[in-house]
Amino acid sequence: MATGFFTDTTLCIGCKACEVACKQWNELPSDGFTFTGNSYDNTSELSGTTWRHVAFVEQMSVDQQGGLHDRWLMSSDVCKHCTNAGCLEACPTGAIIRNEFDSVFIQPDVCNGCGYCVVSCPFGVVDLIEKFDPDGTHYNLASLAESRLDAKQTAVQQSGGVAGKCTLCYDRQKVGFEPACAKACPTESIQFGDIDELRERARVRVETLADRGVEAQLYGADDVGGGIGSLNAFFLLTDRPETYNLPAQPVLPSTRQPAGYAAAAAAAVGLAIAGWMIFRNA
Amino acid sequence: MPNLPPNPDDAFLGAVSRNGHHETPAAPTYYDRPMLKAPHWEWNVVTYLFLGGIMGGLGLIQLLAHPERDDERRLKRTARITSFILAAGNPAILITHLGRPERFLNMLRIVKVKSPMSLGVWGLVLYSGAAGANVVRELAVDGVLPRWMRFLAPGFMAPAQALLGAFTAGYTGVLLSATANPFWGSGKRHIPAASVCSGLASASALASLLSTLEGNHQAVHKLERLEMVAGAAELLVLADFKRASGTYGKPFFEGKRGERMRTYTMLAGTIAPMALNLLGQMVKLPKPVDAVRTTVASVLTLVGGYVLRDSLIEAGKDSARDPHAAFRQPR
Repeated sequence: MATGFFTDTTLCIGCKACEVACKQWNELPSDGFTFTGNSYDNTSELSGTTWRHVAFVEQMSVDQQGGLHDRWLMSSDVCKHCTNAGCLEACPTGAIIRNEFDSVFIQPDVCNGCGYCVVSCPFGVVDLIEKFDPDGTHYNLASLAESRLDAKQTAVQQSGGVAGKCTLCYDRQKVGFEPACAKACPTESIQFGDIDELRERARVRVETLADRGVEAQLYGADDVGGGIGSLNAFFLLTDRPETYNLPAQPVLPSTRQPAGYAAAAAAAVGLAIAGWMIFRNA
Repeated sequence: MPNLPPNPDDAFLGAVSRNGHHETPAAPTYYDRPMLKAPHWEWNVVTYLFLGGIMGGLGLIQLLAHPERDDERRLKRTARITSFILAAGNPAILITHLGRPERFLNMLRIVKVKSPMSLGVWGLVLYSGAAGANVVRELAVDGVLPRWMRFLAPGFMAPAQALLGAFTAGYTGVLLSATANPFWGSGKRHIPAASVCSGLASASALASLLSTLEGNHQAVHKLERLEMVAGAAELLVLADFKRASGTYGKPFFEGKRGERMRTYTMLAGTIAPMALNLLGQMVKLPKPVDAVRTTVASVLTLVGGYVLRDSLIEAGKDSARDPHAAFRQPR
């Protein structure tokens, strides 16, 4: 069964319970204490060890009559689990797979830390997990999982650096639990379930909001374009996607390959002919 | 409610345009934070791509050199041995990036047509095989190895190494251009083409350098012509890349990095060696002077090739950090 997330940003209250639940369940290290000054967002971004990130946008404006309008947008961002995933296509080891729940999953013991998925994600989600720090301030997921089995330092611990991102709580789904973030969300802004059912629910929600005078759009429930297809983690937004740091027109990297190989082949053939003439005429 | 005057500098003003209160010209992003992740690639990946290009170029040179002419016979041997050393050494460079030797093997458990990294590693492995076979043939013909061993490298291994070489040189470009990175994506044709041209120019330079050391001046003469053609092609591709990439190309063509690239890759790394090589083609210089000329030209070309790869990677990092470029992905 294909499962996914429907993140309804109109219900998000910015409590960050999803971030905390994700960190706890997946035993991910803290991001440290930083103060960005960007509203209440001190998490800043998704990373190898941050798999839910609540964005805060404070909007204020003054209309022609001088009346003040303000709006506070909050949205819990997550890996999109794309139909055609750039990271999965790019991975040279086959560490990134599509599992039985139709989620994009990184096998940490197969990942070799090349970092090619990082530059191939059109949404800037995947990142390398920081290298193992013997002081214990940073560690990576793979090393943690393996250290339970073996007290000695493992291979991954010694060299560090594998890719990390949301697993859609593969382990919890395996035993019939919903992902930690959806479980912890107090307002059902994060809804987990069968992807077709979620899409249906989301469309009804957009209509309900329209009846109440709230203009909303779905992001990723249908094809987002650029060859990526629909997203298994999709969103209901009330502003342009860019406002939430989501690309309106993402592109699947592999669509750029044919032009690249063709150009390289043309250059190689041209130079080979030139070289042949140089060496034959000598 | 306080009666605030509209402030055009307020980054949030534009975001509310949907409500019809204000329209601001520049669409605001999320606190100007990056939308994409920058590559974690340092000197080792730059070196890997640089040597991959040289290796590929040497694949063509070993095919072009004719075994019946004495100078080209020696060139063929040099190109084959050098290319094999590079092919054997390049995985070691990649391993310094991956962290542990076993991690290289993880890539050999699968072949993925849609992953340039996967195809490239297989290209490298097959290239090593072809180059190794051709080296065995050279050594068997020389008598270093038993003569019968030359049958381990049948004739088709020479064009095979050239084809695989063209692929490895080209893939070092596709690896960058077929990503979500806006600058790299804007060079989806130019970066692979420039990688092939730069790879062949650097390979010719390295072969010239080695042939000079061997005293094989006739071969140097031909190699320098090849280097000039490849360098001219690289300049044309880069010039067209600047035009085609527009604002996406800013991190590469403008600012300090642009100046460095123009100085080391275009001027000192391509135009200067072209002039030196042209001088060598037209004027017969005394042998020691000519050797210095070739050496300088070759080293400049090699430095230029390295700076090209380094600039591409570093510009990709800046491009990834620019949300405005990331939101306007090149098509």
